[in-house]
Amino acid sequence: MDTTITDGLDRDIAALKAKAADYGAQHKVIDGITWPSGARLAVNFTADFDTMLLRRLMNEPPSQLAKGEFGGRVGIWRLIELFDSHRIKATIFTPGRICELYPDSLRAAAKSGHEIADHMWEHRVPKEPDLERDHLEKTIAAIEKTVGKKPVGTRSSHSRELLLEHGYIYVSEDSMDHRPNWLSAADGSKPILNLPFHYAIDDAMFFSFAWLGSDNSAQRMMDPDHVEELWWRMFEQCYRDGGYMNICMHPFVSGRALRIAMLDRLINRMKALPGVWFPSCEEVARHIIGSKGAQRGAN
Amino acid sequence: MPWKERYTISDEKSILDADIKWPEGKRCCFRVVVDLSPACGPDGIKPENLTTPDAYYGMNGGLEALAGVLERFGIKATFAVPAVIAEIQAEKLRKLVAAGHEIAAHGFKHEDVSTLSKDEEHARLDRTTAILTKVAGQRPAGWFSLARPGDKFAGGAVSPHTIDLLLDGGYDYFGNGLADDAPHWWVSDFASRRAILALPYYYHFDDQFFLLFPRKGTGLENPDSLYRNWKAELDAQYKRGRHFSMVVHPHAIAWPNRLHMLEQFLDYARGLPQLWYATSADCARHWTKTFPAATHLKLEPSIWQDYPGSLS
Repeated sequence: MDTTITDGLDRDIAALKAKAADYGAQHKVIDGITWPSGARLAVNFTADFDTMLLRRLMNEPPSQLAKGEFGGRVGIWRLIELFDSHRIKATIFTPGRICELYPDSLRAAAKSGHEIADHMWEHRVPKEPDLERDHLEKTIAAIEKTVGKKPVGTRSSHSRELLLEHGYIYVSEDSMDHRPNWLSAADGSKPILNLPFHYAIDDAMFFSFAWLGSDNSAQRMMDPDHVEELWWRMFEQCYRDGGYMNICMHPFVSGRALRIAMLDRLINRMKALPGVWFPSCEEVARHIIGSKGAQRGAN
Repeated sequence: MPWKERYTISDEKSILDADIKWPEGKRCCFRVVVDLSPACGPDGIKPENLTTPDAYYGMNGGLEALAGVLERFGIKATFAVPAVIAEIQAEKLRKLVAAGHEIAAHGFKHEDVSTLSKDEEHARLDRTTAILTKVAGQRPAGWFSLARPGDKFAGGAVSPHTIDLLLDGGYDYFGNGLADDAPHWWVSDFASRRAILALPYYYHFDDQFFLLFPRKGTGLENPDSLYRNWKAELDAQYKRGRHFSMVVHPHAIAWPNRLHMLEQFLDYARGLPQLWYATSADCARHWTKTFPAATHLKLEPSIWQDYPGSLS
């Protein structure tokens, strides 16, 4: 046997093992979380308040911008009203730019006790480190100026170190597990909490035509009854096992009257069961971070 | 940058449910829009688009069947008609007018106007107005720009000039606005408050997005889902006291299995006692009188700023 061939195979294995070990060491699921007052399940309702920003960023035509604009003029107000009627504290992930487009809605949401968190400056994370920092700091300043409080969480791929430096305590971005987990350097240092969401529990996947440039032949034009059952099954499974569930919405999608009605039904079904907690992401994050044994490296 | 240009078309907050009033004390406006364009590409209707079985069905058996259903339910619909179709099918259009339906413009030939020069768009708009006026016996009040089946986006295309040209051309409303689910004002100039009334459109209530995608003939058509979307929206908007509209295409909706579903839906709607059945022109007339832009369009000065490293 030619050893140059077998050595090559060994090197392949070693490189893949090293990469897998390194990636694994950067992620750690938090086992055995318990919630306040003996709740079985924490449910985070989260809304990505992009309105037309992503459409604009992708240089889409006017009708697409108007479709997004629905979220700012109509949808966000309906979501606030819906959550308030159920005494649910939601988290609004907003691009900083939205503070200049729909400041009144953000102030109204904050006044109702909802969390206003970061969703990038203009719905992108610049590759240039200086500009990334600039965008993050602009967003923090804009949110603080609008609602009187700095964000402590983000739904973005902003770098972990940069977020920690600016006082962020959680991200809600990746789905390497359905349970809350730590993201850190491979040696476990500089951890930040991740509150995961999943694309199947995201309204835009089912209700937004041409989402993220998808082909016409790939469209899934679903109805609210169908999605309600899908999300209910997610809830039932999470409720049975106890733990965490994050529902990702967009005001321009879920703010449509037929979907507000669906969410209202879904929430009523959830509330009929004992032990379901509806806090903001910040409340979940502070609870986990303050819990004994939940620290990175403790379990 | 002036007034969030290229981001928004209207004011920052929609009209509240409680402030909406419909004629005769009715709760919710109900509109049916029929798209009379055959499937075509972004250049608009070409000769070969008229020689497909669907195009034939849509102007013949399909149209007759759909018109029959509308008549049985006593519904006056708005037919969005490309000018070239009005020229070809003048007799059929006059029948629709005689039956009380509204004829609205749907482009010169249902083309994508965003690729045209302003002069070209202007000339086509004027010609469209003239043709529809001649065929239907009165000027069209409204203009639609509905999506073609192959369009990348489902909202229909406008150019930066379309709204101004429609206002100059004497149009009362633009038929497919996506920024609200009640009529709303589409602003073409912030300083002068120049605006046209936009009537709501949403592709989840447009048959072609359930019946023509995924690709025709794959057996994946989804009329049940369309029915549930219509019903869920109608229920929710009726409760709010707002507005409901749907778009149908005769070549798609009139095939008997689907027409059955449409009849079921209209039958369900008939059970809601406080619906105001209106053509788009009726709806626009009521709205413009009751909620005129002069008093109901609340534009705030922009606090939008330009920053280096950001999109303006």
